[in-house]
Amino acid sequence: MSTVVYPVAPMPAEETVKPVSRLTLGSRLEDLTLLWRWVEARSAEHAIPPDTEFAIQLCLEEAVSNIIRHGYGGHPGHALTVETIPAETGNLVFRIEDQAAPFNPLDEPDEPPALKSIDDLPPGGQGIRLLRKFAGTITYERLAGGNRLTIGFRLPR
Amino acid sequence: MELSTHEMDGGVTRVELDGRMDIAGAAVVDLKMNLIAGSAKKLLIDLQKVTFLGSMGLRSIVLPARAVHGKGGKVVLFAPTEMVESVLKTSGIDSILPVHHDLASAIAALQ
Repeated sequence: MSTVVYPVAPMPAEETVKPVSRLTLGSRLEDLTLLWRWVEARSAEHAIPPDTEFAIQLCLEEAVSNIIRHGYGGHPGHALTVETIPAETGNLVFRIEDQAAPFNPLDEPDEPPALKSIDDLPPGGQGIRLLRKFAGTITYERLAGGNRLTIGFRLPR
Repeated sequence: MELSTHEMDGGVTRVELDGRMDIAGAAVVDLKMNLIAGSAKKLLIDLQKVTFLGSMGLRSIVLPARAVHGKGGKVVLFAPTEMVESVLKTSGIDSILPVHHDLASAIAALQ
């Protein structure tokens, strides 16, 4: 699976594009169980093969848990949305928006780990590398009062 | 997410994980994994039935493995699916915790 990471793009006209399916989540990690069910439903709807569904789950878990833990600092009472947006045939594109402080996960270093012992291994912090590896495309945009991450996946023909 | 343990010959503790190692799955196995890591010296983590592994799930493997390493023990990972192995490789964990697909070689690596 190749990863293409675009730099922050100017705001496109897609502002007016209606989502195909939208899920609103609270800022609690427990809410991720709702995300699984929603992704499963999308997977059934688009006949997504298991490996692609795995990649989608991995990337969305990563992106959403990042927002909850870092963007919102683990504080409950905030919201974020995950939605599918219209895309070219053969692509499935998710858009995640929050109202958190500016946070571009793509700014995080993406160096391959040079590990000598298990103590070098960060217990978390693998997330960005996983995102880059398993997503087809990732775009970050800073919104007026939040952040938008757009993650695309190529569906096998 | 389910977890079962078996004591094998040669002092090897085999932990079988079964299900989705997502945030919810990680929460289910964390405490048990830490307890196992507290007593095991040769730990074989059987990933055959793990259908999903995210970064929170990785944490549930790394922290107990660190505890076992910390007291001079060894940990190997056994039989992950292709996608789970890809997560292990991307995170670099496989360079510290070797991945084996053959049970005999996994056990041999713990001796």
